[in-house]
Amino acid sequence: MRAVKLRKQDLPAFLKCVQSFGELWGPVREKDRQVLKKTDDVNQIDLTTIRTSLPFKKLLFPPRFSMFHFSGNKYTTSLEHLPNRIIFGLHPCDIHALLIMDDFFTRSFDDPYYTERRKKTAIIGFSCIPDEKCFCHATKTDTVEEGFDLFLTDLDDFFLIWVGSSLGDDMTRECPKIIDEGILPEDLKKYVEWRKYRNSQFKMDIDLTSMPEIFDLSYDSVIWEEEGEKCLSCGACTIVCPTCPCYHVYDKIEMGKIEGERMRQWDSCLFKEYSMVAEGHNFRESRAERLKLRFTHKLQAFVGEYGKPACVGCGRCIETCPVDIDIATIVRRLRGEEVKV
Amino acid sequence: MLENQKKDVGLYGFTGCNGDQLTIIHSEDKLLDFWQSVHIKSFSLAKSDNDDSDLDIALVEGSISNQEQAEHMKEIRKRSKKLIAIGNCACYGGVQAMELGSKGWDQRFRKVYGDAFFELRTPIESKPIDVFVDVDFYIPGCPINADQFFYCFAHLIQDHVPTIPDHPVCAECRWRENDCLLLKGILCLGPLTASGCNAVCPSHNLPCLGCWGPVEEANVSSEFNLLKEKGLTQEEIKRRFRMHNGSGIIKPLKKILGVL
Repeated sequence: MRAVKLRKQDLPAFLKCVQSFGELWGPVREKDRQVLKKTDDVNQIDLTTIRTSLPFKKLLFPPRFSMFHFSGNKYTTSLEHLPNRIIFGLHPCDIHALLIMDDFFTRSFDDPYYTERRKKTAIIGFSCIPDEKCFCHATKTDTVEEGFDLFLTDLDDFFLIWVGSSLGDDMTRECPKIIDEGILPEDLKKYVEWRKYRNSQFKMDIDLTSMPEIFDLSYDSVIWEEEGEKCLSCGACTIVCPTCPCYHVYDKIEMGKIEGERMRQWDSCLFKEYSMVAEGHNFRESRAERLKLRFTHKLQAFVGEYGKPACVGCGRCIETCPVDIDIATIVRRLRGEEVKV
Repeated sequence: MLENQKKDVGLYGFTGCNGDQLTIIHSEDKLLDFWQSVHIKSFSLAKSDNDDSDLDIALVEGSISNQEQAEHMKEIRKRSKKLIAIGNCACYGGVQAMELGSKGWDQRFRKVYGDAFFELRTPIESKPIDVFVDVDFYIPGCPINADQFFYCFAHLIQDHVPTIPDHPVCAECRWRENDCLLLKGILCLGPLTASGCNAVCPSHNLPCLGCWGPVEEANVSSEFNLLKEKGLTQEEIKRRFRMHNGSGIIKPLKKILGVL
């Protein structure tokens, strides 16, 4: 992998320069949170961001969008005028989530509403130091080798930039004046030191080994009922989760016409309607069953199908759930560890 | 749509602020389609030549708060193939049904009106319309959301059953990436309340008051416990729960508190 350097003070100039490839989106502070936003002013980007309130998925399949407009027997899709975008600031966990989403939306067949947006999206990753809610070391998503066009590691006075694609390569060659090709031995040393420091900064102690077996053995556990009684069914954990892709499709018709939009909007397995089928039968009538599905899918079923869990340790569910039902509490309870209930 | 395929529609308002009918009238970009896609037989807030003919669809706003309204409501039901409740008052009773389910309406009424004699109307405790008649579909809101209303209306006039996702306000609130007020210890009813408003209050840093009425899966007891943990008193929580939730909150609240 090609690597180059960028002096810290040149980051704004670099981001301005890469804007010739598309709209720049990055984490911007808004009140108490950081939000992934389109920004022309590169100084607005908050490099201290640990996690944005919604992940990148809002750009690749928005919370609610029109798939196509139909009129009689004809339809026109909404995919013609999608902008080119650069998402700056994705951390390794989110890049792993992006790879999971890419797989999910292309494995059986291409979902054009995702892939057309994805094709026009460039990823510039950015290094991070974990906070107390991060557990990507446990999900083994704390480093990345693919899934980005460029990846910047913050080494105090300069950024080490890994080039992950030919598009990323083009980006570095777009601004030759500020990109430094000469990586020195001491730069490498600095990088190794930084890695060691970062690895030492994980605060959350959580063990995700053997989770599929533990889920198998916990199918009838009382934990599901207990947590189900607490769950508010608000769906927030699924909305903020970077690997939750579920959606609902409906038609929005025009008054008095055979014309309208086919809409897609985010759905959640924690909503009762999600598992309701014809005649009102519901596969997962109770909150406990729905909660069990969510966690079993993330940490067991997904492993069987994709070879890895669908949790990347970003900590968003920990930050979001008002009643503290998240991957960490569930895993700890299932492992029989002490958790405040 | 062909003239003879158009549905006959009537709009009626009982006790309420007329906010739902006004929401329709204020939707200038939709009004031409609205008037052209159906025959509006009665809409006294918007036109004068109203009649009491048979209807395909009756849209009813407001709660029932006197016996004459109850009779009128039953009469509308008799001549309407479909009856749609629009707005919080028609669906759940509105703020005037805040105390619904607790006893003592007579005393409360006397406290306000004394021994006043009501010549033209016989007041009763305010209740949602489904206490008196069968309702085919509910479009909640205080007032209704124009987009959601016209979405439902477009389906109803083509004999489709519209689907309103049974999501709480939190869903739309997370979509808009607002700060979670509950996490800050503010009495927000987002998790209990049906969405459709685009989380308008939390998006302006104001807590959800529950004006869309309860979402089907509302976990009232968990929210109650959570708010108590955050330091709110039982009385504060109860008052907020009852403010807009009228008939929708009676059962779960009784379950938690024993009495209302």
